[in-house]
Amino acid sequence: MKDIERIIREIDKLKPVSHIGDRIMEITSNPNSSLAQLVNVVKYDQNITANLLKICNSSYFGLRKKIESIKQAVALLGIEKVASLVVMGSSAHNFKKAHSGYDLKEGELWRYSVSSALMAQDLAERRHLKSISLIFTSALLKDIGKVILNEYVGDSFEDIIKLVQDKGLTFIEAEKEIIGIDHAELGARIGERWNFSPPMVNIIRNHHYPDKSPPNDLSIPITYLADSICMMIGIGVGSDGLAYRYHQDVVDRLHFSDTDIQKTIANFWGKFKGIEELVNLSQGD
Amino acid sequence: MDIVVGVGDMKVSNDPDVVLVTYSLSSCIGLAIYDPVAKVGSLLHYMLPESSLDGSKARENPYMFGDTGIPLLFKEAYKLGAKKNRLKVIVVGGAQILDQKGFFNIGKRNHTLLRKMFWKNNVMIDYEEVGGTVNRTIRLEIESGQAWLKVSGIGVKKI
Repeated sequence: MKDIERIIREIDKLKPVSHIGDRIMEITSNPNSSLAQLVNVVKYDQNITANLLKICNSSYFGLRKKIESIKQAVALLGIEKVASLVVMGSSAHNFKKAHSGYDLKEGELWRYSVSSALMAQDLAERRHLKSISLIFTSALLKDIGKVILNEYVGDSFEDIIKLVQDKGLTFIEAEKEIIGIDHAELGARIGERWNFSPPMVNIIRNHHYPDKSPPNDLSIPITYLADSICMMIGIGVGSDGLAYRYHQDVVDRLHFSDTDIQKTIANFWGKFKGIEELVNLSQGD
Repeated sequence: MDIVVGVGDMKVSNDPDVVLVTYSLSSCIGLAIYDPVAKVGSLLHYMLPESSLDGSKARENPYMFGDTGIPLLFKEAYKLGAKKNRLKVIVVGGAQILDQKGFFNIGKRNHTLLRKMFWKNNVMIDYEEVGGTVNRTIRLEIESGQAWLKVSGIGVKKI
């Protein structure tokens, strides 16, 4: 067992999502948020605005018309999506480096994060869920705990993988057993420190435990399913592999059949190139 | 020179300087074949078992599916002089999330499809490492036919 307090103190070494991230997330969590509020937050930061426009004009969205202003972006993509993209465009810095403890090369954790956020957004839209941007940003940032835990997982990998192989534990259960805290819990603590909204912290904390979500809340199951599908495709999968639990009851609750899942995988193939462009466009700030 | 075979992709080569590599096989299957006489190798990385799921997607990219990708893998190698009876055949991937069962177990379905096709067409497998929860990478050297399997977090071995 490691010194958990020492691990938690390392949160302060991370650079927060972005200096405007919490304000953007506040806007996106409010159903009455307006374009004016969004513009007010980003207008003084030319880098963020320029980067947002580049992202909106990327091939992923396939818009015919070139977007030249935030107002135009909101008209075409909606305020929730644009706000989510502001967060994406400015939160890559912690994720982009290599995370050798999880055997992830430079850029892989970020590619995984972006992919599972887009996948979660797609699944949420198909189920006509509200709070799409909450789901997007939670899925995007859900593995922030890995950024800190990486070093500890690297140091204790043999002990962790032994528990996975010999005792049938999931990787996250083994992380907790050996290190004393797992990447989801640590991610939630980071979210609390950075003033993420309570629903977002809850999604991050439980993204591998969708069975813990209340029956009427599908945000955790959707984030979980998106993550599972990315794992099956092999996006951003490292030394933890697929050693996580599959919750069939949760997938059933979302009314996704095996054919739906296969179709989602097949459709996602066509998005790889666009995702790569988004991954490269999103910067730290 | 490494030539990367992406997800839902296939590459064939008879260039001795080439190493075919495909990364991060989870539930997908990596299928490598090599003819040591013609010194031709090809590598397929397919995602899903059957193209009947979506015919238009299969026409757009047959390498996404096992039942359309596997025959093409062999045909492309034959075009460069490979012969079926000389082929070394390697199958890796097909991992699964813990407790993933039945139709939802795509890794297992990907593998079952391949075994059925090989049974019907009398193709023997020389090396196979499938299933489990691990993430795999495979490399195939065209000059020698030597293949290397990396299991993430565990290590690299010659196969």
